[in-house]
Amino acid sequence: METLDPRIKRLSLETSTEVEKTNSHLITYEVFHQEKRGKHVTHVGIVHASNPEMALVMAKEVFGRRGKTTNLWVVKTSDVYTFSSEDEEMFETTPEKTFRDPAYYKVRDRIEKFQNKNKV
Amino acid sequence: MSNALKDLLFKMADDALIIGHRNSEWTGIGPMLEEDLAFSSMAQDKIGHAQALYKILNDVLGEADADTLAFKREEKNFKCCQLVEQPIGEYDFSIVRQFLFDHAELIRYDMLTQSSFQPLAQLAKKVKGEIKYHVMHADTFVKLLGNGTEESKARLQTSLNYAWHLALGIFEKSEFENDLISENIFAGEEELKKRWLQKIIPIIEAASLKIPATDESKIVYGGRKGFHSEYLKPLLDEMCEVVRSDEATAEW
Amino acid sequence: MYGSTNLSEEDAKRMNSTVEDPEKLEAFESRIARGEKIEPQDWMPIEYRKQLIRMIEQHAHSEIVGALPEGTWITRAPNFRRKLALIAKVQDEIGHGQLLYSAAETLGKTREEMLNDLLNGKSKYSNVFNYPAKTWADIAVIGFLVDGAAIVNQVINSKGSYGPYCRALERICYEESFHLKQGHDNVVYLATGTKHQRAILQDAINRWYVPLLHFFGPPDKLSAHSEKLMKWKVKLASNDDMRNQFLDQYVPKIWELDITFPDPNLKKNNDGIWEFSDPDWNEFKRVINGAGPCNAERIAVRKFAEEAGRWVRAALMNPTEKYVAPLA
Repeated sequence: METLDPRIKRLSLETSTEVEKTNSHLITYEVFHQEKRGKHVTHVGIVHASNPEMALVMAKEVFGRRGKTTNLWVVKTSDVYTFSSEDEEMFETTPEKTFRDPAYYKVRDRIEKFQNKNKV
Repeated sequence: MSNALKDLLFKMADDALIIGHRNSEWTGIGPMLEEDLAFSSMAQDKIGHAQALYKILNDVLGEADADTLAFKREEKNFKCCQLVEQPIGEYDFSIVRQFLFDHAELIRYDMLTQSSFQPLAQLAKKVKGEIKYHVMHADTFVKLLGNGTEESKARLQTSLNYAWHLALGIFEKSEFENDLISENIFAGEEELKKRWLQKIIPIIEAASLKIPATDESKIVYGGRKGFHSEYLKPLLDEMCEVVRSDEATAEW
Repeated sequence: MYGSTNLSEEDAKRMNSTVEDPEKLEAFESRIARGEKIEPQDWMPIEYRKQLIRMIEQHAHSEIVGALPEGTWITRAPNFRRKLALIAKVQDEIGHGQLLYSAAETLGKTREEMLNDLLNGKSKYSNVFNYPAKTWADIAVIGFLVDGAAIVNQVINSKGSYGPYCRALERICYEESFHLKQGHDNVVYLATGTKHQRAILQDAINRWYVPLLHFFGPPDKLSAHSEKLMKWKVKLASNDDMRNQFLDQYVPKIWELDITFPDPNLKKNNDGIWEFSDPDWNEFKRVINGAGPCNAERIAVRKFAEEAGRWVRAALMNPTEKYVAPLA
């Protein structure tokens, strides 16, 4: 076959028609990235790997080749436990609980009222 | 002393440029996407090391600029070892070459952090971390594939046997060896080779591979003195194709 | 580089006729209408899943096949700066493929199934990568204009409804911002360089003009539509709108270098809409169906890479580990 790619010209391009068995694939590891010391470690994506050591080696270039990195963590996808998406409703009322909200405590009004009263 | 320094810098720079160039050929056609990325990053690192070393030659030792040294020099003036010139072959050869070369590279740069030649000592401190990753990457794959299937084990062993005497050519001594040692610039190829063997042997064993027997007469020397394999000239012709396609003053 | 939202006639028909559980559908659609994203574990209509897989997969294929025409020049880049930039850029395309395949995996199709479908022709990639990179100037034009076109498409798609795809696209757009700059830099060096450099640049622009117009797909009046894809925020802008946005951003940047496009009718009207000669849409179809100048080579090279790497993947396999779809 004609190719314009000098790299390919050096390789033999004979191919068979065999395809990959669909059940043969590496497992995935979820990757977590820490940008700076003191920052949270956040989920950034996955890599395919056969063991945690390989997952780290792969994660470094997939997720650490730009910007700053201090560390990467990998966790086998099947080892991560999550809520089911139907359980999201358990979190629904949380934002309404304004007694946890600093803006809920408005003492200034009361102080001013108190001071005005004392002035009289 | 400047000739001894030049010789050292040129061989290191040329090694880095040529292996970086070779490894960049994997970009887009590697065995899995993640590994494409890794090989490609390491190629960029190596080419960057070459550029930095040529820059020292230019800044401190009066040689031409990095682009001229890389893209406009004749084959016989290249000082790279023949191991790095070999085509990428199949993945087993590329990973074995990386393993053998980068262990030597990591020790070399580690030794150079103590160099009395400051520009080189500084560069060595700066890039050591990059090479540490290259070694970690190579060790991981050599161990996984050596302990993988019958096929992967056999392929790695064959490539290791093939690459062995080429790799020993890394340590070809120059005529300036004693000067470099006595001036505390670099502790020498013999010392490097000794430490290299100590380092790689346990990993080859952990990968369940056999350490090839060394036959002194088969070690592939010559590269450091400008004698190259049949592969370097075509590599350089290809690398310089665009530069040569136009007048010499063209800027790209 | 490109996730085509263009539907086949057959898909459009099925999309408009498949019946889903009305209650779940209602909840799903109102979530999207509220501007919330859909996450992998959520209920979703069969057709939503299917079209997203098709689109993300096609986008991923476009990245890894798109790495090939540029890859042909990696070993020939003319100086350190260009060599490093080109390797890093082509590497990014592979990295973006990795991110996109991962996003599609969350929908339940494995990377291997997707790669198999690329090789057996069931799944497509962007037509633009079926054209050759003949000279170094093609690298400049691809880096600037093909990536420019892709970014128009990707920025729009990143506002879509599927969480993992949006996240991947945001990262991709951030990473690709340097592609455009280095492409533009390369174009400017050639345009302001020697006679030979200007000539190869003009030649490359002449050859890439039609593939670039084709990039955004057939004109709206000739495309199959589905209101649902718009409603579900899978498709977010019309082909014509995207094409117009591209021309508006990039044509002036080529003209200012005294380089032309091979179309006497190319001009911007007072209403802000660009006019151009209708490119040959039969050629577009021919190339999609495999008759482009490089279709066979692209698939053969991907096949080679897959096969040459098979023993490596087989050796890395750990049969005691069970694959589960990635989480996000």
